[in-house]
Amino acid sequence: MEEQVVFEIKNLKKNFGELQVLRDINMEIRKGEVVCIIGPSGSGKSTFLRCLNLLETATDGQILYEGADITAPKFAAHEYRRKVGMVFQRFNLFLNKSVMKNITVAPMALNKVEKEAAEEEALELLSKVGLKSFAGAYPETLSGGQQQRVAIARALAMHPDVLLFDEPTSALDPELVGDVLEVMRNIAASGMTMIVVTHEMQFAREVSDRVIFMADGYVAEEGTPDGIFTRPKNPRTKEFLARVLKEEEE
Amino acid sequence: MALNFGDAFVNLMPKLMSSLLVVLQITALAFILAFVLGFLIALGRLSSKKALNAILLVIVEFIRGTPLLVQCFYIYFVFPALFKLMGMSISISAVTAGILGFGLNYACYMSEVIRSAILAVDHGQVEAGLALGFKKSHVMLRFVIPPAVRNSIPVFGNYLITMIKDTSILASISVAEMLLVTKNYAAKTFQTIEAYTLLALLYLIISLPLSQVVRILEKKLNHAKR
Repeated sequence: MEEQVVFEIKNLKKNFGELQVLRDINMEIRKGEVVCIIGPSGSGKSTFLRCLNLLETATDGQILYEGADITAPKFAAHEYRRKVGMVFQRFNLFLNKSVMKNITVAPMALNKVEKEAAEEEALELLSKVGLKSFAGAYPETLSGGQQQRVAIARALAMHPDVLLFDEPTSALDPELVGDVLEVMRNIAASGMTMIVVTHEMQFAREVSDRVIFMADGYVAEEGTPDGIFTRPKNPRTKEFLARVLKEEEE
Repeated sequence: MALNFGDAFVNLMPKLMSSLLVVLQITALAFILAFVLGFLIALGRLSSKKALNAILLVIVEFIRGTPLLVQCFYIYFVFPALFKLMGMSISISAVTAGILGFGLNYACYMSEVIRSAILAVDHGQVEAGLALGFKKSHVMLRFVIPPAVRNSIPVFGNYLITMIKDTSILASISVAEMLLVTKNYAAKTFQTIEAYTLLALLYLIISLPLSQVVRILEKKLNHAKR
């Protein structure tokens, strides 16, 4: 049986002033899918992801989440976002709060979880991301990779149905990337629906069910990881992959 | 002429102490008024409502562009006259005029401090709060305003010290603050040197420890931020 459609995106367009960043995006995301979005910088990948949790407002077109039009005026964005977690490129941890508080603040305030239960779960999540002993630490004392893993734990604490990742390893030193990708692999294996904008080709190839190649505000090509990486059809995809894979070898 | 500090101390100090109370009262009330008003002005100037923003900008620029002493004169002398012209009679005490004048004036300066502190909070903090499912207003209250206020505390501290010293201008609208008391004493006793020297020392004794406190606060906050 086909899995249920989580996101249905129809003719999505986004302009920043005169600049057309998303020209016409059509896509379906199914429950449990891990979708990686790749493409050159400026292709609109991040903007697309930000449209999905309404940090950017679509200029035109529709995004349906479980059948509901989230682009409709007066849509209750804050309630919807509780079900759709987001992990940012620059982590965006709350700097004046401890790691523990970063993770528990939203469940306690929004899901009315008791403090004790929230902290217990936070510790579980922290041990999942390999940072159990860091509950009392402040973000600025952590490395980028550690901060990003806390950010993932923070997103998971809301028990989201979908997780969005906006270039989660792009701001990290190369030696810190592995731990974050490892955590993401484990989440993917648990059946979470994930949409990941990434430059990590190896990760996209190994972990995703589907790879989407974006260029110039369009979906230029999509397919299985194997299809995209070994038999790309679109010349733009070929050119892009040849360039990044060569860079990775160097 | 021999200087007689002992005499001046014994006679002037009690008067200075009771006028110090007046000064502290005015400062406390004016500072609270300035903080609250400043906060509201800052929030208004940050809102997306263009008309509100424009009106507040005009008010802020007007108040920042005229001297505090003139504003106090205006409130003390002109307001009652204007009301009289309109057939109403209000009387405003010098102390009230001082509190209003200082409160309004400092509110404008403090609103700029608060506004820039709020703008200085990384937008990523806002997006993180929104992405977790907080409403916009809750994001402001939980994740933006607290660090913004915390980061402004040393500046507020310095404004408080400046305000205490500035209250001496209220002598010109007859508030019985320390300068006026000293001036009256000196005029009566001709102990000009002693009286004004004592006054200056008293201001110093008040403001030095306060600046020290501000410095310590600043260090602590910087340390906590790292």
